[in-house]
Amino acid sequence: MTPSATGRSYLGSRRTEFIVVGLIAFFLIVVFPLLNAFGIVSNFTITLWGKYLCYALLAISVDLLWGYTGLLSLGQALFFSLGGYMMGMHLMRMIGDLGQYHKPIPDFLVFLGWSELPTFWKPFSSFPFALTMVLLVPGLLALVFGFLAFRSRIKGVYFSILTQALTYGASLMFFRNDMLMGGNNGFTDYKFILGYDIRDAATQRALYITTAVMLLLVYTGCRWLSGTKFGLVQQAIRDGENRALFSGYATAHFKLFVFVLAALIASIGGCLFVPQAGIINPEEMKPEKSLEAVVWVAVGGRGTLVGPIVGAIGINALKSWATRAFPDYWLIILGVLFIIVVLFLPGGVVSLAGKVRRLFSAKTAPDSAKP
Amino acid sequence: MNFFYSALRLLAFTALALGSALAAADTARQTIARAALAEAPAQRIEIITLLIGSGDESIAPLLNAWKEDALFLYSAPAGSKIPVQLSGDKDEQGAQAATSVDTGQPILAPTGRPLRLIAADLTAVEHNGALRRAMKAVLDLLDLSTANVEKRVRAIQTIGSSQNVEKLPALQARAKIETAPAAQLALREAIALIQLKSPDTPTKLAALKELETLHTIASADPLKAALKEAETANHPSVANAARAALNAVDSHLMTVNFFGTLFRGLSLGSVLLVVALGLAITFGLMGVINMAHGEMIAVGAYTTYVVQNLFGEGMDLMIPFTRIGVHLPGAHLTGWVYQTYFIVAIPLSFLAAAVVGIGLERSVIRFLYRRPLESLLATWGVSLVLQQLFKLTFGSNNVQVSSPSYLSGNWTYQDIIFGWNRVFVIGFAAFIVVGVWLVLTKTPLGLLIRAVMQNRSMASCMGIRTERVNMLTFGLGSGLAGLAGAFLSQIGNVGPSMGQNYIVDCFMTVVVGGVGNIAGTVISALGIGLADQSLQQILLNPVLGKILVLVSIILFLQWRPAGIFVTRSRSLD
Repeated sequence: MTPSATGRSYLGSRRTEFIVVGLIAFFLIVVFPLLNAFGIVSNFTITLWGKYLCYALLAISVDLLWGYTGLLSLGQALFFSLGGYMMGMHLMRMIGDLGQYHKPIPDFLVFLGWSELPTFWKPFSSFPFALTMVLLVPGLLALVFGFLAFRSRIKGVYFSILTQALTYGASLMFFRNDMLMGGNNGFTDYKFILGYDIRDAATQRALYITTAVMLLLVYTGCRWLSGTKFGLVQQAIRDGENRALFSGYATAHFKLFVFVLAALIASIGGCLFVPQAGIINPEEMKPEKSLEAVVWVAVGGRGTLVGPIVGAIGINALKSWATRAFPDYWLIILGVLFIIVVLFLPGGVVSLAGKVRRLFSAKTAPDSAKP
Repeated sequence: MNFFYSALRLLAFTALALGSALAAADTARQTIARAALAEAPAQRIEIITLLIGSGDESIAPLLNAWKEDALFLYSAPAGSKIPVQLSGDKDEQGAQAATSVDTGQPILAPTGRPLRLIAADLTAVEHNGALRRAMKAVLDLLDLSTANVEKRVRAIQTIGSSQNVEKLPALQARAKIETAPAAQLALREAIALIQLKSPDTPTKLAALKELETLHTIASADPLKAALKEAETANHPSVANAARAALNAVDSHLMTVNFFGTLFRGLSLGSVLLVVALGLAITFGLMGVINMAHGEMIAVGAYTTYVVQNLFGEGMDLMIPFTRIGVHLPGAHLTGWVYQTYFIVAIPLSFLAAAVVGIGLERSVIRFLYRRPLESLLATWGVSLVLQQLFKLTFGSNNVQVSSPSYLSGNWTYQDIIFGWNRVFVIGFAAFIVVGVWLVLTKTPLGLLIRAVMQNRSMASCMGIRTERVNMLTFGLGSGLAGLAGAFLSQIGNVGPSMGQNYIVDCFMTVVVGGVGNIAGTVISALGIGLADQSLQQILLNPVLGKILVLVSIILFLQWRPAGIFVTRSRSLD
């Protein structure tokens, strides 16, 4: 089954969708943090959900490319962790001289024998600068890589393999100590964000709310985009790039725009992820991480916007539970689940709803036709 | 113990036979015994000096014992004095086993049992400063005369690099009688190096000339020092000669590096070729993105591991999903019979991986021939499952696969080191490329494979059982990955996630080569291997080299998006 053209069928009409999304958003943004503030939901859970929602942002960025434009990027985790690294650099500067060596520069630099801050680290003391970099660095990388790739019409599997090579190369680079980005330990032990203690429950709650709001914004934005003419061209490229090309659309430009946009969404996810997870290291960039994000989308349902969110939260919740309950079998469960979804449920979990509804309407239709 | 000493004596005799000039009549042991019995210190020194130039292995322990007061004179009941060495653990009385210095045999008490003596009851053989100096002279040159050529060369090189003028006469004496070519060269180098320190200008110039002809890598640093010295002393002729010698060394070094890099590049390229060739078939010909290709490599490597253990000590396995451990008994083979395990493992690795591959094709991939991106995803799921199964079966740590002796040595030619395993990799890669080419072009199966890959539906219409051909083709590709695994077990780690290290490189190789083209894969594998090694050599940083290779591949695809060899067709997609 190919994903629906507008991604609307899974929730029925526009009004139902508006109500359902609004209710879920209200619960996630208002009710959940309130429950935490009154001590019903633990701090651990709220941080955990914060991370899930960040992963949901990453999943949306994968889906925007794969589900809506037909570009399977196996390098989205690179943009996610680049955003994380930019935020991490700022947070490392905020530690000040509270590190183990009590020096005004991050511990790992002291360990590498630096006595002064390298030049490119200096501006990261400023929060607005770090935020700008969160958008600028992954955006520029995506722009350059995308330009090169789409200009020479690299598509399909080749695009996937190249993006995988890109993230692989980047992870190798970040593993090196002389990159001055913390080597394989990455950045950790953050203390403050915007002057607040980062381990404080209230700070974590605020971060969670920010993430949830950001997810809602991204969702609405993408929902709007998919309905515009741009969104339709995007889906036309997915379904038949040559036809779109021959109809006079410069498909390479469309693809480049979507690629950069997806990189930015992933990067924002990463930037919110780091203060909540408390660590960023090159492991996050490895090709496997990008593939995992693709799994969330595939299981949730690609070509829809709810699917990636459901997939990211669902699989990660399953992971948190299964890695504790069956540590030895978790990867087997994930692998088998994935094979089954790819083979038998190409539309993902959210397509089940439509299938069930169609099953019912198929049963009721003959009845109504009788009289 | 007895055997040990007789072995030593045998060695000593060999050393003698090889022409140690001085210890003509007596063995080294006898000479030392004689020295110990001599009364006057001057006489002792004279006798010990006789040992200079001897390479006998018994000299070092005896002289060291002497210096440490562990050599004694034992008055035998018959009245004669016997020099003895006490060794072994002390018993309650503090007695130790006594061996005769003369013969190296334990001394027997009248009862016929080995004699045990107490150190405190005996007088140690005396030594003074002059005697110790004489001993040092003997010990210093001991290694120069040892029967083992490699050891001798190493000793000569050590003396040469220390540039100690005092040792010059000994080296020159040795040079007169040296017969082994390697040692002769080493001696010439060492003598020239020491002569560099000579105050006499003509000797120095001659030494520099000699070093220029020898142009050994080891002489670079001393030459630099000599050059600096000559420049400060304002000695243009010496400085020029030193510069010429240094240039010779540098150009030799460049040649060595160049050919070394070429060789390592070829061998890395061959490794890539072996791992990518299977992928060139499954991905290039069939269009299936098999992310579990790396795990097929691991299947081959683990098969080698199992075969090795079956030939040797046996092994323990866990059956996944149960807590049952199984012990596979080993055949406890040794020697060359054990070494053949690798020969047996090669075809078995192919078979094991081919069987797993066919299973995978039948259960998952055959549903996905028209959906390449989804085959990528499903096979990634398979790869996760397989990795975890390896972990559960063989443990999550890397396992040890030992190299058979015929693959673990190396061969040095003109300072370029050729590891046998790498030579073997190159030969093997050539062998399987030819094999694959023959299968694809000269066999009926190859004809069917090519027909199905060119146009699946047309082939099917012509009555070819495409299902079966797909299965066999995928089996062939996976089997080749298994072969690669048998191979990588010899040069890399074998562990549950070993395949992940190769998967990105594999895809890169196939994409650069041009999909659906074996010749392209060969060229791109060798090209990437050479580029990787040369960049490493230039940048002196393996990771940076690898990153640059990845970047240049991305740029290369800008220029030729379809790889080196393009399969032309009129279809648009």
